[in-house]
Amino acid sequence: MRSRYPSRGSTFEYYTWLFTRLSGIFMLLMAAFGIVYANLAGGRTLMDMPTQYRWSFFPTYWHVQNSDIPDVFPNWSNSFWQIYALLLFLVAAMHGFNGLRVVAEDYIHRPYLLLFAKWLVLILFLFTLFAGTIIVFELFI
Amino acid sequence: MFRGRHVGYLEGLRYKGKEHMLAWALHRITGLGILIFVGAHVIAAFFLNALGDDVSTTITTIYESTPMQIFVYFCVLYHALNGLRLIVEDLWPPLLRYHRELLWFQWLIFLPVFGLPAFLMLTSILSGGA
Repeated sequence: MRSRYPSRGSTFEYYTWLFTRLSGIFMLLMAAFGIVYANLAGGRTLMDMPTQYRWSFFPTYWHVQNSDIPDVFPNWSNSFWQIYALLLFLVAAMHGFNGLRVVAEDYIHRPYLLLFAKWLVLILFLFTLFAGTIIVFELFI
Repeated sequence: MFRGRHVGYLEGLRYKGKEHMLAWALHRITGLGILIFVGAHVIAAFFLNALGDDVSTTITTIYESTPMQIFVYFCVLYHALNGLRLIVEDLWPPLLRYHRELLWFQWLIFLPVFGLPAFLMLTSILSGGA
C-alpha cells in the first residue's frame, strides 16, 4: 500500500503535494477576486447568481453575455481577463490532472496498465490545455 | 483504501472510518466530478465551435441542465471547503487535535451554503422553470 504522504527521498511527490495545496489557495483567491470584481462592476443588480458563479469559475465574456450588463465588450473581454482566464485554467488543469494521476496510482496495480493510464492522463491534460487556449483566445479557423 | 483492505464494497460503504473516511471519499468523488464536468465542458465547447456537431450540442445540453448545475455546485463547494480545511491542518499541525470538531464545523458551513441555492434551483425545476 502506497503511503499518502511523500517519502523523504521523493522530491517529485513532495513538489506535487505542495503544488496541490498552493494551487488550491491560489484558485480560491482568483475566484474571490473574480466575484468581487463582478459585484463592483455592476453585477449586484445586473447579474443573477448563476452568472456570477460562471464568471468567477472562468472569467470569459460569454459567461456574462446573457446577463443585463451593458458594457460587456470593453470591460469584460479585454486581454487582462484573457490572460487571467488562461492562468486560472492552466493551474486548475494541473491540479485536476495531477489528482487524476494520484487516483490512478491508488487503484491500478498492474505496472504496464498504470504506465498506460499515466500517459493517457498526460495526453488528456495536453489536449485540454490546447482546447482551453484556443477557446480563451478564440483562435478558431 | 476501499480495495487495499480487502473488504467488500457494502462493508466499505458502511463508513467504519466514520466522518474522516466520509470526508476522504467525498473529496475524491467531488474532485473527479469537477474534472469530468470541466473536461466535458471544455472539450464540448471546443468541438462545438470548431465543428458544430450534434455530439457537442448534446453534451452542452446535459451540462447546462439544472440537476447537473446542482451536482457541480455540490462538488465545487465541498472540494473547496474540504481542501481548505486540509491545508489549514497541514500548515498548522496543532489543529489536528481538533480534527473532528473542524470536520463538524465544515459541515456546519457547507449545509446552509449548499442547501439554500440547491433548494432554490430545485424549486425552479419543480415549478417548471428553467
